[in-house]
Amino acid sequence: MNMCSHRLAALLSAILVFHLAAEETIAPLGTYTAIERRHWAFQKRATPDIPTFTDPADNEWIKNPVDAFVLARLKKAGLSPAPEADRRTLIRRATFTLIGLPPTPEEIEAFVKDTAPNAWEKVVDRLLASPHYGERWGQHWLDVVRFAESDGFEYDTHRNGAWRFRDYAIQSFNEDKPYDKFLMEQLAGDEIAPKAEPMRVAAGLQRMGPLRKNAGNQEVASSRNEVLTEMTNVVGAAFLGVTLGCARCHDHKFDPIRQADYYRIQSYFSATHEKDIPLASEAEQAAWQAKAKSAQDEIKALRAELRGKVGDERLELEKKLEAANDRLPAQLPALYSVENDFAKVSPIHLLNRGEYNQPKEKVGARPLGVLLPDGTPERTTLPENPRTKLAEWLIDPDNPLTSRVIANRIWHWQFGRGLVATPNDFGKMGLRPSHPELLDYLANQVIAGGWRMKPMHKLLLTSSTWRQSFESPISAKAEAEDPENKLLWHWSRRRLEAEELRDSLLAVAGKLNPKAGGPSVIVPVDPELVNFLYKPSQWAITPDATEHDRRSVYLMAKRNLRLPMMETFDAPDLQISCARRESSTHAPQALELTNGDLASRMANAFAARIQAESKGDRNKLVERAWLLTTGRPPSAKERTLAAQYLNEGQPLREFALAVLNLNAFLYVD
Amino acid sequence: MSEHIRWTRNRREFLTHAFCGFGSLAFAQMTAQAAAKNPLAPKPPHMPDKAKAKSVIFLFQAGGPSHMETFDPKPLLNQLNGQPRPAEFGEAKYQFVSKTAKLLGTKRTFKRYGKSGIEVSDLFPHQGSIVDDLAIIRSCHGDMVVHSAAQYQLMTGRILPGFPNMGSWVAYGLGTESESLPAYCVLPDPKGALEAGQPMYTQGFLPAVYQPTMLRAGARPVLNLDLPEGISTPQRRRTLDLLRNLNEAEMKPGDAELEARISAYDLAFKMQTEAPEAFDISKETDAMRELYGIGKKETDDYGRRCLLARRLVERGVRFITVVAGGGPGNMQWDAHSNIEENHIRMAGHTDQPVAALIKDLKQRGLLDSTLVVWGGEFGRSPESEGTQGRDHHNLGFSMWMAGGGIKGGQVVGATDAIGLRAIEKPYHFRDIHTTILNQLGLQQDALSYLHLGRRERLTEVHGQVISEIV
Repeated sequence: MNMCSHRLAALLSAILVFHLAAEETIAPLGTYTAIERRHWAFQKRATPDIPTFTDPADNEWIKNPVDAFVLARLKKAGLSPAPEADRRTLIRRATFTLIGLPPTPEEIEAFVKDTAPNAWEKVVDRLLASPHYGERWGQHWLDVVRFAESDGFEYDTHRNGAWRFRDYAIQSFNEDKPYDKFLMEQLAGDEIAPKAEPMRVAAGLQRMGPLRKNAGNQEVASSRNEVLTEMTNVVGAAFLGVTLGCARCHDHKFDPIRQADYYRIQSYFSATHEKDIPLASEAEQAAWQAKAKSAQDEIKALRAELRGKVGDERLELEKKLEAANDRLPAQLPALYSVENDFAKVSPIHLLNRGEYNQPKEKVGARPLGVLLPDGTPERTTLPENPRTKLAEWLIDPDNPLTSRVIANRIWHWQFGRGLVATPNDFGKMGLRPSHPELLDYLANQVIAGGWRMKPMHKLLLTSSTWRQSFESPISAKAEAEDPENKLLWHWSRRRLEAEELRDSLLAVAGKLNPKAGGPSVIVPVDPELVNFLYKPSQWAITPDATEHDRRSVYLMAKRNLRLPMMETFDAPDLQISCARRESSTHAPQALELTNGDLASRMANAFAARIQAESKGDRNKLVERAWLLTTGRPPSAKERTLAAQYLNEGQPLREFALAVLNLNAFLYVD
Repeated sequence: MSEHIRWTRNRREFLTHAFCGFGSLAFAQMTAQAAAKNPLAPKPPHMPDKAKAKSVIFLFQAGGPSHMETFDPKPLLNQLNGQPRPAEFGEAKYQFVSKTAKLLGTKRTFKRYGKSGIEVSDLFPHQGSIVDDLAIIRSCHGDMVVHSAAQYQLMTGRILPGFPNMGSWVAYGLGTESESLPAYCVLPDPKGALEAGQPMYTQGFLPAVYQPTMLRAGARPVLNLDLPEGISTPQRRRTLDLLRNLNEAEMKPGDAELEARISAYDLAFKMQTEAPEAFDISKETDAMRELYGIGKKETDDYGRRCLLARRLVERGVRFITVVAGGGPGNMQWDAHSNIEENHIRMAGHTDQPVAALIKDLKQRGLLDSTLVVWGGEFGRSPESEGTQGRDHHNLGFSMWMAGGGIKGGQVVGATDAIGLRAIEKPYHFRDIHTTILNQLGLQQDALSYLHLGRRERLTEVHGQVISEIV
């Protein structure tokens, strides 16, 4: 749309708004009480004083302000920090935390032997510079925005080019893109730089949710409402850390978020529509068109014929339609994105109980009322770049939520538990911060550091807090008083997440294909699982088998078929934003890791690897197995048990399988 | 109590709120040791005095069977055959049929059965023979008229994917009585998938321990139960012993989390060695196989799966969904083009096995502790689609419940004279859910889980127990 018609549309829509406004009621702006505004998360960030200590031992322990805040809190509770973990433990912990893979025995040895005073910093810098860093931290973000490459619901259609968003996220983390920029690009990339491919890809965030497509009588208004709901809810969950979605049907029951606030945020999206942007050259597109023409003509004719048809006739036509669709040539590359269409602005009303067909008062765009002075007007017309405006409000340093939310997410993904243990909910129903001053300190640091994440990682990793061991001399007392380790009196052990586990199995068996980026890989799964798909032909296995051993982040994220291994080890369900993964323990996990296809294949490969790398020396073989999986040599007891087993002539692949199932492999301490 | 109210600020609260889970911990304290080793260890119900059922079998009739052809006779519909719907019945929204569609009478005949004299159509003579055990709810309704969203609502209480199936909720609330079988099993129709796909069966945001086990067709129903080729059971036992010894060698005593991992391997091994026996129906007598229609082409598949459901209940499995219908619409109850052809065929597959299951459970004394639920994601339209088909219809349709403390031999609620709308005692899916929970002794508000700031529960909006039948 050129500028002129653009303006015309805006003018028309303004007239339309005026016209409607004349006969519609407009929702009141609302007021917020002092008590409502007093909730900690809505308060301005403080600039807390860094606690000081007189005891030299304390000052010895304190490596940076993080430690000062943590130590002050521990002392108040009569607790003390655990000693520093040994170097093997530290490098294994850091490697999993930052890149989601185990360290190699060589990397461990190098660190253990490094006498340089900055040995630890070197490890941290190396890991932060690794391209694998984005693969691990990109996945965290993909959890939050419920990234998937299919629509979900019955057709679960694959989304052409949706994988580019995954690469965009990975690359953004790798280049340490400032978070404010990252946020802006995802909310409004198409508005700020419509010509830049990555910006259009980033704006694909607006289309990341599940999408219901109906056969038969289309309810356009209902579908549009579902699309707008998905766009709106993610702003609350991912960026603001408030349960905005709760206010879709009624005023929020606990937080000062009115139903009008929900729909005012939704107004920023009222012009947003899906947009696939072709990447192929015009010649390629023309060639595609030529090839597709006959099928397309038939589809068009069949669709026209289908209208109003029912029963047998309809079934017959639907069959033909599907056949015609299957005849279309493979899709050309495209960007999965959105753009504003001001000729198609959805009027936004409060909806009674969230029902699309029960509109109440009309609203215009405005951020959350509780964070604005009472009486702040809403926008009566939509600005030309509505989502940019919303993003600008979110990344304004005065916004009390955004910087706290991202600082807390970083902490959560580092320590396994956020300072606010409910990372998507900073409201009254969420938990209060365990260390409010530390949270504000970190949020301030985020902003002062230009919203970059790598310096935050370094701050945390170089603290004494982070380097504590899991074992603590005071564990009996501390377990009783603070069993969840809220106060950080030791390191919280954690199980590997689904992707880390799969990637580590591949890595230690020497099978990991480190290739980065590109279209997603579809790996073989049990045919019965594919048969559970409405359209089994969607699961078109990637022909090149070496691709099957790539990192999990590059595997097809399909809503209606998740890999059993991912499902069983608590990977998110790809439907709703996931701020924090569960870590459950149950028998199907054991079955997966002892009888599953991947475990079996990796046991064989791991057996072959340790065999080859020990050249017939059994002691070496056992040692190599332990170093690769647990990062340490086996203890005397472990050596004896292993030797006994191998002396019985048990198959080496069974020995390898046992090692791949060790707690010491599956847990990071 | 309101779903959003919070109480304590202690360890339990942290586990309930922060970890979005293990709200069961209050109960788990009673069975703390068992629970530490196995999160699926049996838990006491919230309302022990109301807990009549220990297990649930949901006979899911996918695609939406017609109420007018099965349990809800509508003589007026035959009189009005071919006419437009009289205005006094009000409006309805359909997936395909338009406002000008004409009413379609039924070719089915109805007969009174049993002491209760409840009318059942000639599609279901076998279910007629057990009608005194059934509580037929003729006034069911849901919110959605398309398959996927309606299936989500029936299975999870919500019209969107991402929420836990009722089977996962029940496993979360009660654990399982079986040590070698999963808590919650789905027996899908081997003919193919349904519209809402796998997400409708899954545990949503609950921990993966509550995930469904899909029991597939064929000799090896459970994924990963078979040892890799060339490995014998004693060999694997030895490997698992090595694993246990290695894990224990470096473990501090009393480390509950790691102990749980060790126990999971024992449980898995047990499953591997004992579960195949549960799945093996060859040990059943010929008479039993005949009762279920096994060996007869029409009924063989559904018969086998219903019999398997009974074997699972006997072994303590908590929740079993047996799906009838799969693949393209006409292989389900989704009779868009020809209600006669479709329903006669689907009834032929299912009627005998369904009745056999009730008879078999009863004869074994298991019906009192097993709640059996029959129904689809909606019913079908009183209007015709094409000349002989019926469209989806969510405003009024029939489901039934039996066993597990349900008072059989009665009809509850009614649709209007053409079967368009539930007008008398309408019951929503959430009321069906509430009733299922109630029979298990679970309270809908107590069975909750904090997720994204909301105390989620199966029923979302408060449901009511169908008081007439409990």
